[in-house]
Amino acid sequence: MSRATVFQFRAGTSVFHRLDPMTKFAWLLSISLLAFGAYIAWIQILITLIVLFTAMILARLSPGEIWRGTWLFLIACTSFFLIQTLTLPGSLKLFTILGKPIYAESADYALASALRIYTIILSSLVFVRTTDPRELAISLVTQAGIPYRIAYAFFIALRIIPTIEEEIKIIQSAQAVRGVAKQRGLSGRIKDMKRYAMPLLVGSLRRASIMVMSMESRAFGAYPTRTFLDPPKMGLGGRLFCAGMVAAVIGWYAALLFGLVHTVYVFAPK
Amino acid sequence: MLARDTPDPLMNVEERDGGAPARAAAQSVDASDRDAVSTLAREEAPLVELAGLAYTYEGERSPVLEGISLTVTSGEFVLILGPSGCGKSTLMQVMNGTVPHALRGRLEGSAVVCGREVASAKVTSFATEVGMVFQDPEAQIINIRVRDEVTFGLENLRRPVDEILARQAEALTFVGLGDAGDRSIFDMSGGQKQRVSIAAVLAARPRLLVLDEPTANLDPAGMAEVFAVLERLNKQYGTTILMVEHRVDELADKVSRVIMMDQGRILFDGSPRAAFSRSREAHSEETEIVPTSAWFPQASEFALELSRARGRELSAESTPLNVSEAAAFAERAIAELASQSRTPPAAIAAAAVTHEPGKPLVQIRNLSFGYVRDKPILKRVSFDLAANAIVALLGRNGSGKTTLARNLIGINPPPKGAILLGGKDLSELGPKEISETVGYVFQNPDHQFVTDRIDDEVAYGLRVRDYSGEAIEQRVTEVLETVDLARYRHRSPFSLSLGERRRLSVATMLVLEPRLLVLDEPTIGQDYERAQQLMKLMVRLRERYGTTVLMITHDVRLVAEWAERALVLDAGELVFDGAPEDLFGRHSLLAATGLLQPPIFELSATLSARHPDRVPAATLSVPSLVASLVA
Repeated sequence: MSRATVFQFRAGTSVFHRLDPMTKFAWLLSISLLAFGAYIAWIQILITLIVLFTAMILARLSPGEIWRGTWLFLIACTSFFLIQTLTLPGSLKLFTILGKPIYAESADYALASALRIYTIILSSLVFVRTTDPRELAISLVTQAGIPYRIAYAFFIALRIIPTIEEEIKIIQSAQAVRGVAKQRGLSGRIKDMKRYAMPLLVGSLRRASIMVMSMESRAFGAYPTRTFLDPPKMGLGGRLFCAGMVAAVIGWYAALLFGLVHTVYVFAPK
Repeated sequence: MLARDTPDPLMNVEERDGGAPARAAAQSVDASDRDAVSTLAREEAPLVELAGLAYTYEGERSPVLEGISLTVTSGEFVLILGPSGCGKSTLMQVMNGTVPHALRGRLEGSAVVCGREVASAKVTSFATEVGMVFQDPEAQIINIRVRDEVTFGLENLRRPVDEILARQAEALTFVGLGDAGDRSIFDMSGGQKQRVSIAAVLAARPRLLVLDEPTANLDPAGMAEVFAVLERLNKQYGTTILMVEHRVDELADKVSRVIMMDQGRILFDGSPRAAFSRSREAHSEETEIVPTSAWFPQASEFALELSRARGRELSAESTPLNVSEAAAFAERAIAELASQSRTPPAAIAAAAVTHEPGKPLVQIRNLSFGYVRDKPILKRVSFDLAANAIVALLGRNGSGKTTLARNLIGINPPPKGAILLGGKDLSELGPKEISETVGYVFQNPDHQFVTDRIDDEVAYGLRVRDYSGEAIEQRVTEVLETVDLARYRHRSPFSLSLGERRRLSVATMLVLEPRLLVLDEPTIGQDYERAQQLMKLMVRLRERYGTTVLMITHDVRLVAEWAERALVLDAGELVFDGAPEDLFGRHSLLAATGLLQPPIFELSATLSARHPDRVPAATLSVPSLVASLVA
């Protein structure tokens, strides 16, 4: 029984797969900074479209994969949008639902907030899906100067997330067979977690101990440095890409600072 | 052994150590010469020297190893056998200092491995001397891509890039994965994963290879791949191998020495023939005879049983280790018996399969199922399961066995009308209703524990079903006694040994008296005695409640001995449904589905072809073959 976890690296040949991890990290950071700039819906729509374009064209993620990776957040963002639209105050009335006025400002603000969250989740999906955790760890050592033991700890944490997810699924199934029904509500969830915790902890400790034995027996940590075969390098394309992203972020914040960005309501009243 | 500094990529260790003739000897080795090689190898400089070794884990009172004295020299292939918890894994971990440095505790006595004192040398300093391979490929693999895993150790050792690339290519070619460098390890089969693990340690060219049950999770085809690599390393390149393994049938004629352990001590240390010439008994140092629960090769078991039936003593030198030797042994016995007068034997009928008339317990009709649309794992599977039967479900890793079993318990929701349980559509039944009829014992017992006490654990299923306190108490006590865990009833499930935890997970299902019990790989990691106990428990369950036991397994001996029907899946399709004796007679099907014949079946087929009047074909057990020979 194995269902591939969506939030997991998959080898590929897309443009994004070929970029070095640091360039992709710079992209992720820039997208986040751009998204955090302002609560303006049309800007957030633009950023979301750019990220969607990156996901589908540059990273070759299929619509199905995007849906499987983000549907939960999409539902959360939609709920967030609806709640905020219904509850936030404003002055430009769009229409009335059950006697309650809906304002353009609140709808716009709600859309911007919801899209901002979605954009960050989607860009993280693109990053995780196209970046080999090992290459990321090596980049951290060779390009960012982080000690290799710390970089590997980070890599192994990323590497074992899918294994732990898989194990939780197995434990859920194994306990369901015992007649344990999935609990509802927060207290039920806590009870569930408590029951899963012990088998998961026992399994994880066992696995961690084998992993440590396997690493140490192959001289991990024997020297302060190690050889890296074929470490990822930022090529000309990557540098240009990064420069473009930096320019976009600086330009965007400068525009905000100088008041050059104006709100154009997406939900404008007729 | 992969070379260190010579153009010959596969220079062996004795060349490095002064040119002793172990390679020449090892190359000409066949099973009958093994003992001589063992003696020859022992005259060389020892790689492992343990004297009076004792080890106690931190926080424990009693030692896990006690009075261990052992010398291993270049070119030996040592198989270590013993029951679960006897200390064999701990002994393996001494070989590179994981014990006592990573797994802390008190080490007494002397342990020198590859010239280094284990107590004072760091684990990492053994990296170029000792290669360690563990049971679980998933847990020991660090990287995602094959070549990254193979170069990991050399990168840690700060070797130059050119050297790393050359050794990576050598190691992968050696294990037959020369063109798999760019593949993701997680898309590979179990056997391939373990070969990657072996390549990953071979790249550093260790002098000693230490393996702890490396094939426990593999199907027979994967196991054969791994053993073939190890045999080649040992025979052709003289690599010294220390290995803990339960699968003795395929190994007995490949190893040069067998060590049997129990309760932290070495009970037997000698040639494989000597080891398997005394059935489940071994000499301790004090020359006491003690029982051992190690698995024995069926070829040796057959010779022992035949000698016993003829009132003779089996000598070590005549003990067969494989099927062809057992056939030669049987031929000698037949020739002797032929000179005596005998009455022709009545043909031993194959075990009759009894199906209860009436409605089957489970009906599966055209079941197709997959986790991702357009990628079905099961394809149009159809069969019935009657009540009161022991049925084996076989197939390669990834053939759909577990997926099918999970359909039966509703974890994987089956399509409407595809599975009928007691005449009712399983897709319309709730988890509680299904679990009243079907029990499922997972491979890892820990996953199923939901309480902090053993008796609560057994009572849980009854409480969920609102049984009265009195009834719960009575049934829990009865079941705990059946599985021999009553004395621990107030302890935590996690404090038990693996064999006990498995019995407890069976008990949690037994208490509900299911009509169908699914067992996922019941014998993995189990010693002989515990595997037999578990299966006897299944027989009792069947006799008492008419339960049908469906066991998912790779263990063909288990199938031959206990199952009356075998189902074989291949790439999601049911390709065989019938009696085990029919299955084991179909060579092309076995080859296509990665299965092996049980040694006793192969032996009886060989003998039957030569002596049809004396040996009926399709014999699945040692006693029935022996009975037909001496009748």
